[in-house]
Amino acid sequence: MENGDRIAWGNPWVRWSIVWLFVLTVGAFLVGFVLLPSVHRDYTAGGIWLAICRAAGLPSNWAPPPRRESEKGATSVVLLPAMTTRGSSDAIGRGATLALQQCSMCHGAQGLSEANAPNLAGQYPEVIIKQLQDYKRGDRGGSFMLQISRNLSDRDIEDVAAYYDSLPKARTAPARYDEATAPALVRVGDPLRNIAPCIACHGGTDHKLGAPWLEGMPKEYLVVQLRDFQTGTRRNDSHAQMRNMTREMTAAETEQVADFYARRPKEGDGK
Amino acid sequence: MFAAKKLVLAHFWVAFAGFLLAILLGEWQMYVRSPLHAWVNNPEHYYRSVTAHGTVMAYVMPTLVAMGFGYAITELSLKRPLIGVRWAWAGFWLVVAGTVIAAATVAAGRASVLYTFYPPMIASPFYYIGVVLVVVGSWIWVALMSINLHAWRKANPGATVPLAMFGNVTGAYLWAWTSVGAAVEVLLLILPAALGLKSTIDAGLSRVFFSWTLHAIVYFWLMPAYIAFYSIVPRAIGGRLYSDTMARVAFVLFLVFSMPIGMHHLFADPQVGAGFKFVHAAMTAMVSVPTLLTIFTITASVEIAGRLRGGTGVLGWVKALPWDNPVMLAVTFSFVMLGFGGAGGIINMSYQLNETVHNTQWVTGHFHLIFGGAIVIMYMVIAYELWPQLTGCAPLRGGAVKVQLWLWFIGMLVLTMPWHLVGLLGMPRRMAYYDYSNPVLQPQAWTVTMSTVGGLVLVVSTVLFVYILARARRVDPAPAPFTFSLAAHAGERTPAALNTFGLWVAMMIGLTIVNYGYPIAQLAMLKETSVPVIQIGGP
Repeated sequence: MENGDRIAWGNPWVRWSIVWLFVLTVGAFLVGFVLLPSVHRDYTAGGIWLAICRAAGLPSNWAPPPRRESEKGATSVVLLPAMTTRGSSDAIGRGATLALQQCSMCHGAQGLSEANAPNLAGQYPEVIIKQLQDYKRGDRGGSFMLQISRNLSDRDIEDVAAYYDSLPKARTAPARYDEATAPALVRVGDPLRNIAPCIACHGGTDHKLGAPWLEGMPKEYLVVQLRDFQTGTRRNDSHAQMRNMTREMTAAETEQVADFYARRPKEGDGK
Repeated sequence: MFAAKKLVLAHFWVAFAGFLLAILLGEWQMYVRSPLHAWVNNPEHYYRSVTAHGTVMAYVMPTLVAMGFGYAITELSLKRPLIGVRWAWAGFWLVVAGTVIAAATVAAGRASVLYTFYPPMIASPFYYIGVVLVVVGSWIWVALMSINLHAWRKANPGATVPLAMFGNVTGAYLWAWTSVGAAVEVLLLILPAALGLKSTIDAGLSRVFFSWTLHAIVYFWLMPAYIAFYSIVPRAIGGRLYSDTMARVAFVLFLVFSMPIGMHHLFADPQVGAGFKFVHAAMTAMVSVPTLLTIFTITASVEIAGRLRGGTGVLGWVKALPWDNPVMLAVTFSFVMLGFGGAGGIINMSYQLNETVHNTQWVTGHFHLIFGGAIVIMYMVIAYELWPQLTGCAPLRGGAVKVQLWLWFIGMLVLTMPWHLVGLLGMPRRMAYYDYSNPVLQPQAWTVTMSTVGGLVLVVSTVLFVYILARARRVDPAPAPFTFSLAAHAGERTPAALNTFGLWVAMMIGLTIVNYGYPIAQLAMLKETSVPVIQIGGP
């Protein structure tokens, strides 16, 4: 049998294919890992071996250093899907007792505020957990809430959240967020200013973990929060999501959006 | 054909029925985000539609065409009945069942994650299970192609594998190795999260695994078209294949180089090192070699046809070509689209140039032009060429076929050229709406209308395509037996390396390990790289 008929090193097809593939691969690696890094000073500052490691994607320090103590006001709560589960009747009962003692003065006996504090009835449990934890750790400001949250254990917080989750919401969402009822910012946002639609996270088209239920909230509360996000007074939104959304919003838009979410059903709306 | 007629027909009909539905969704997407329609109120509907369109067009349709064509090639080129017809039907029904499960989940709004998955977005587990069934069904096909080839070799020791079958098995082996990346991603990373066993996912590692599949899958889609270029086109236009060896070299080069290059989809991803990105870019450049070889060989084969028909001089043979032959039209259209699409692809794969077009409409324009255009038009040719064998109808070469091909070509250019243009201007892809009232965007509004019109032309072409296939009726006498192209130098000895796959499969696997081994091992071992999952469509 001739050499050319066997798949072996002696077969020139085999030999040259392997040699060329080897040369090509080694060449590509030399260019990518040695030659190209050599023209970037930051790559080569630590010597050739470090440059190769960086080109391979080896992180010198993968995880960011722990947050500095001085950086107050950014949230450290990790939201987990497990937080969204409905609480047991025990938890709801304990939460109801706690809520009656400590929350109802401002947030209303049934979680519907008469004092421009946010409604909590029907609020998602992970939202209440996150906000109370933020207050407790000093990441969200507010003289009353700082004092109250300080004395709540993690268990207390989960129970209160379970209780409010069990109450009926102030207002259910309209069946459609259409042009007639919802402002453009709520429905479709403003892509060119990087403002996402409210309903993409706060319910309507989608609900994202950690985004509160807003329907029926007191208008004054919403306006103050939006402005606080805008000015950076409030900074406990993860990844600065709300600060980025509100940065470009005008005062009139803030009013309009708050107005929409605060709107109570009119007489005869039938809901 | 012997045993596989019904089998091939079933594959093609499901493929083209899905194709028709998915193209309607595509056109709806273009319409609702064009200035012709108010902003779509619920963008989720848009992404639901994009997911369905992508899932059918990328997974279901090309897989079924490749499988059906593969079964047909096995019988037509090896001239013996298909071994394992029952298994083939089982594979077919797995693909159908997977498609139905995935499509129902998408339709219910529980899986708007786009066909490329994008963790940490997580859909209902049924969507991924559906996709896995489609892939498992296709693996049966891979096994059958290999088994049939081995059985034929045993019966014909020392004989040269027919070119069409060689390309077909190349495609099968390519797909087997290609699909491993996405399979690992879905089974090990995504499904545990989708089933609620885990609440976090390593999104970076998932994306690296998907890139393993994401680019080579393109060459799996492309393989039937290239087989048609080499083994159908020269015969159909009355010429000879310029070089059988060149065809085999192109096929094996795809096998070696299409796999370890997927990281050019991750140029903007931080989890992969710059060195590996460069190596993948360089290897991507190598994949243009088999395509350039193909363009040369097929153009030379077409020139042979022109000269056989009496064409003379430097360009006289072009005039002498059978321009009233639909295959001639289709291969011309395909090459024009392959030219534009390929040039665009070289821009995408360049590490630096990619920055200007990354995630813009340019990319959408690129893959519609090269896949939807250059490749799918050859799928249509394959269907037209096989139909007389499958249904006993007369050859499909009439005016309607030519109109259909013209519409596909024009529609695809009108759809994709505006996308390329606005992509360069920075228009992002995957947007449910654009704000045309903004003075910055207003001047680009016409391009979206233009693409909507192009899409409408494609819908008309598809309806005509399905109509032509559905109208075909059995005639007497039965059509002539199917033949493949003859090489210009028939009977030339084929080198053993180009008659077997061992060397090329070994090179494919070796190169994959070199190019993917370290990044995957590194990401898999790094701690604290997982992020919370984002459930799509409610818990």
